[in-house]
Amino acid sequence: MKPALPPRLPLGLACAAALSMTTALATGAWAAGMVNVDQKGLAFSAPALTVKKGVVLNFSNSDTTSHNILITGAGVSLNSGLQQPGVSFKAPMVKPGTYQVMCGIHPKMKMTVTVN
Amino acid sequence: MFAPYSRIHRGVISMQFKRLAIVAAALAAISAPVVASGDQVQVLLQAYQRPTAIPAPADNPITEAKAELGKALFFDPRLSGSGAISCASCHNPGLGWEDGLALGVGHQGTKLGRHTPTILNTAWAEPLFWDGRATTLEEQAKGPIASSAEMNMPHEDVVKVVQGIPGYRTAFAKAFPGEPIDLDTIAKAIATYERTVVSGQAPFDRWAGGDQAAISESAKRGFVLFNTKAQCSTCHMGWRFTDDGFHDIGLAGDDMGRAKVMPGLPILERAFKTPTLRNIAERGPYMHDGSLASLEAVVDHYDNGFVRRPSLSASIKPLNLSKDERADLVAFMRTLSSQDPPVVLPNLPASGDTSQ
Repeated sequence: MKPALPPRLPLGLACAAALSMTTALATGAWAAGMVNVDQKGLAFSAPALTVKKGVVLNFSNSDTTSHNILITGAGVSLNSGLQQPGVSFKAPMVKPGTYQVMCGIHPKMKMTVTVN
Repeated sequence: MFAPYSRIHRGVISMQFKRLAIVAAALAAISAPVVASGDQVQVLLQAYQRPTAIPAPADNPITEAKAELGKALFFDPRLSGSGAISCASCHNPGLGWEDGLALGVGHQGTKLGRHTPTILNTAWAEPLFWDGRATTLEEQAKGPIASSAEMNMPHEDVVKVVQGIPGYRTAFAKAFPGEPIDLDTIAKAIATYERTVVSGQAPFDRWAGGDQAAISESAKRGFVLFNTKAQCSTCHMGWRFTDDGFHDIGLAGDDMGRAKVMPGLPILERAFKTPTLRNIAERGPYMHDGSLASLEAVVDHYDNGFVRRPSLSASIKPLNLSKDERADLVAFMRTLSSQDPPVVLPNLPASGDTSQ
């Protein structure tokens, strides 16, 4: 089974989704809180996660290599771009649904996020 | 699902990256020559311990009957359109399960676009192919059979050929009770055999296990360099020495690699899968394009021979390695070769009436 990914979507669409999410973030997403997900040993710290609508996922990178987070689901896609070691990436989850999260560089790194 | 496998020695999968990173950072700060204490080396070695079992998917657990059948199929040239090419034609066990060529050669001498990758330790190696286009070994096994440039046997034809060989009908009944001979069961059998192809104990493993005489002092220095100044372990990590990731390492050429499979991510342009370094000394020439003839040339490439471009991996930087350091790195890589017993070729079942 091929991984469900945003790459087949135009990059601009992914950016637009990110922008849309960012706009929603300013209207109250922070109020729902932040959940940390670390990337370490080429794995996400949790294989699956359920969060409330509006939660911001804070992806940290504790590895010594770069990652590239890709989030797809509920009709949106988000691309972190290159994420260097020590750099965090914040993803506001404003739309309920199930999202697949993976690293574009290391495709074995996968997790599922459910937003209620 | 995990299946025990006797050829894999006892160990614990323990990727202690935090401790590894701390030690690596400390060692990297040491001016040349790079040295490490025994304790520091032991910490580094913890990231390279071998697993205790072979992983397999829940819907295709490893069994002796399947592995035996898959081995016959793997070595059987009747699975190709010409009747002359088997999986083993390119994945030759005598050549590190590769072909010794820069670029693979397929149907009627067709020159392929990339170097033949090894099937060693592919049970852990998904996704497969240099560009990762096959998610599973089962999916990978189907690809080259039907490829017109490789084995050139349409899938419907290969099923008919296998169904028409009486010995295979018996073997499939034993390996897949109640299931038909079809493309899926053919692929499952081949994938199962491939999962059993595991590199055995190498001198490096014996050293990691405490045998100080197993490798040379040069190789020991090379191991420390590998994990520190040379930064090889950023991608060539773990017991197979690969992150199973995709990186542009700055080789010339127009092959877009992973970007063709996952368009839209600029960092995947000209990115190819990190190959395992197990038995690497027997697997030249090197790189996805077979462009580097020797391990020495590989080290030179990473030292400062790469093409600078936007997609180049952030991990690729000039290393300023000395001549001795380059020699140490090569000496280390040569310790990764196992001396496995020769592969015994299977007796293939006789051809039968294909009308059955």
